[in-house]
Amino acid sequence: MYKYIFILLITFLSVNVTAQETIMNASEIAAFKKQVSAASISTNTIKSDFVQFKHLDFLSDEIKTSGKLFFKTPGLVKWEYTNPYQYSVIFKGDQLLINDGGTKSNVDIGNSKMFKNLNQLIVNSVKGNMFDDAEFNIKYLKTPKANKAIFVPKDKKIAAYIASFELLFDKKDAAVLEVKMIEPSADYTRIVFSNRILNGTVNDAVFKN
Amino acid sequence: MQFLKISLFLFLFSSCSLKTTEGLRTTLVSKTQVENLYFSDHAQDYIYKAKIDIYGRYFGGILIIKKLKKNTHRVVFTTEFGSKVFDFLYEGDTFTKNFIVPDIDKKFIVNTLQKDFKILISETAQVKEQFELEEIDVYKSEADKRFNFYFFNKENQRLEKIVNTSKSKEKVTILFTSKTENIAEKIAINHNNIKLSIDLDYFKKE
Repeated sequence: MYKYIFILLITFLSVNVTAQETIMNASEIAAFKKQVSAASISTNTIKSDFVQFKHLDFLSDEIKTSGKLFFKTPGLVKWEYTNPYQYSVIFKGDQLLINDGGTKSNVDIGNSKMFKNLNQLIVNSVKGNMFDDAEFNIKYLKTPKANKAIFVPKDKKIAAYIASFELLFDKKDAAVLEVKMIEPSADYTRIVFSNRILNGTVNDAVFKN
Repeated sequence: MQFLKISLFLFLFSSCSLKTTEGLRTTLVSKTQVENLYFSDHAQDYIYKAKIDIYGRYFGGILIIKKLKKNTHRVVFTTEFGSKVFDFLYEGDTFTKNFIVPDIDKKFIVNTLQKDFKILISETAQVKEQFELEEIDVYKSEADKRFNFYFFNKENQRLEKIVNTSKSKEKVTILFTSKTENIAEKIAINHNNIKLSIDLDYFKKE
């Protein structure tokens, strides 16, 4: 297993890393994964604010939207945008429950492997627990304050949408600070979390449309 | 026989008459071209919350329109999460499909979207005929073997509607609601022959 990661690291050594970032060594990776896994296991609910920045190379400004995120074990997730518009998506089993400014709709993702993967990805990235070497080529980096994992999807269908995505973790408690999804065109979406409340009360009613 | 002639005449006449100009007075053409300034400022990012209803199936997303330079616009549609659904480039009469999600990459869909946004972003149109009512001036122009009728409010000179037609039928109607100069806060694109509607709401500045 570690041998595999080591080979991966060697492969990625040639990739440019910004000045502050350095590549983790094998024992650092092991410790980091253990920390994230422990944090993930002890997390039953998450409530957090988020700000999303959509970067498109031809725009003068990034498109900024913001809202709240709710998570509850085993896999209930609600993304709720509140600014500049009201829009929410609840991931519930094989269903996406959407409320677009009062217009409600359900999308059955039961038959779509693509959507299931995406759903799994979202649930796992919220919890930070997604170091699946079968699905991704993963790079592990560290900065003075944060750890960073970069995932490159192996599935070609997913790779057509997402070139890679990055998760930024707080070094102290392994909380996910930022998610960045980079498209094949190099445009990206960056989501920054704040005011995170772990294991507070999150009523099931939150996940009803 | 006489009855048949009249019926035939009525049939021909009614099938050729266009609803768009019903009740309008024909006037002399007062200007050679009309302008749609809603996407004309290249310093501006035009960002809209979009709701699309196609045959009862509903999609939401974000529509981004940017004028890159003269006669050149980028039109990008993303999901609320930010992933691109399609990315079109209009350079004069040249259209480039930079990207479209494979699931909806069908000729019919691409053509329909391409034409709709072409009407939406086109900045100038040559006037062929002109009509009026008490509060509105209507300018008819020709584009891609079809016609576009531009409805302007006489009082504030703002563009309120574009109707795209064949010789006899209305195909697409675009309604603009504008309170701020050269910004359309609300846009509604409706198709007459297919069940497709696109509603756009301009992003409020924080």
